[in-house]
Amino acid sequence: MSELARTVEALLFLSSEPVSAAELGEVTGASEESLEAALSELADAFAPGRRGLLLREVAGGYTLASDPLAEDAARELLGRPRHSALTPAQLETLAIVAYLQPVSRPELARIRGVNAESPVATLLDRGLISEGGRSEFGAVLYRTTPLFLKLFDLQALEDLPDPAQWDATPEEQRELRDRLLAAGDARAGVSAE
Amino acid sequence: MRIAELELDLDVFSGPFDLLLTLVLREEVDLRELSLAEVVVSYIDHLEARGELELEATTEFIVLVAALLELKSRLLLPGEEGDELLELEPAEAAEELLARMLDARRYRSAAAHLAELLDLAPEVRYREAPLPPELRRIDLAEAPLGLWDPAILGRALAGLLVLPPRLDLSHVLVARVSVAERIALLRRLLRKAAELSFDEVVGGADRMTVAVTLFALLELYKRGELSWEQPESFGEITVRAVARAAPGGRR
Repeated sequence: MSELARTVEALLFLSSEPVSAAELGEVTGASEESLEAALSELADAFAPGRRGLLLREVAGGYTLASDPLAEDAARELLGRPRHSALTPAQLETLAIVAYLQPVSRPELARIRGVNAESPVATLLDRGLISEGGRSEFGAVLYRTTPLFLKLFDLQALEDLPDPAQWDATPEEQRELRDRLLAAGDARAGVSAE
Repeated sequence: MRIAELELDLDVFSGPFDLLLTLVLREEVDLRELSLAEVVVSYIDHLEARGELELEATTEFIVLVAALLELKSRLLLPGEEGDELLELEPAEAAEELLARMLDARRYRSAAAHLAELLDLAPEVRYREAPLPPELRRIDLAEAPLGLWDPAILGRALAGLLVLPPRLDLSHVLVARVSVAERIALLRRLLRKAAELSFDEVVGGADRMTVAVTLFALLELYKRGELSWEQPESFGEITVRAVARAAPGGRR
């Protein structure tokens, strides 16, 4: 392996967060081409099935990860699963933060229609979201963290698909509106009597 | 007169004040259409006509009008979230609800997508460098027991309750200039010369002395012993003795 490839391997071993190519270039002083060559050397060296580690590109950088092969033993060794299960409320809150960030708790509650306090606290605790700044009305704003990208195996937030694809079709919307109006009329009729 | 008996003749109501209050509370008179300024003007007219101020009745009036004002401002301002839907027409409420339901549906689907991503993500682990010990959260269960020994707290508190020794400042020379001293100096100088320049008097002295000398000048001016003039800002100040003959005679 080239000296540069070995240096990059060492840096990735030491770093607890993914390191971007730009950062690697900056600290090694290597040119873009030689860095690219070194990274592909490393990718070869860590190709699945060769070592206990994999070279992965995630959360906007390069990082070393354990081979899934080792997962069962790793769980025994570390005494905990890779991640704890997320409840539907937590996933929903996380989805809203991921798409609308930075977003405040009142906004979360408005969209979900219920209080978001508990899921927000859990997500904060697990390091999937973090507080960052305040809205113009003074409410704390939330964003997703690099851990979120790592856990969901995303390169960047832009990798999330357009949420409009899940929106109701015009027909579905019309049907929903009619049902709502009917319900509203029924209620008004009852209270008028 | 009791405030309740105040007769009102307003745009939307005419009758005694207490009847108005009752109607407002029963929502038979719309507070939003009631001009409270008119009520106040009527009361002031009434006070003027009486020609005397009944403190108790006026207090009662102010309290009542303040309460009405608060009530009215709440009616006029947009309601808090939650009440919003109740004040809308059924069709509007349905639209608003629909918009919220569609929003919620979008992110419920997004959540389902995230759950899928989580399932599909390879079963890899990443390095987790531990936080440096000083940044780690202390787990109470693991903390050394001695930390919560009340005696430690007692000792810490006792240390705070002891008065620290007084600092010895005797070696610091405090420059003392008194107004009396400076008055004496000015008087002495003015006996020798009828006209002085302020700069001469304070020549080379520190700021404190200059300031105190200025106070002395003011004091002597007040007593009519001298006059001073300064033709331009930051210019020379000329001090002149005033003839003693007419103390306080000319002002």
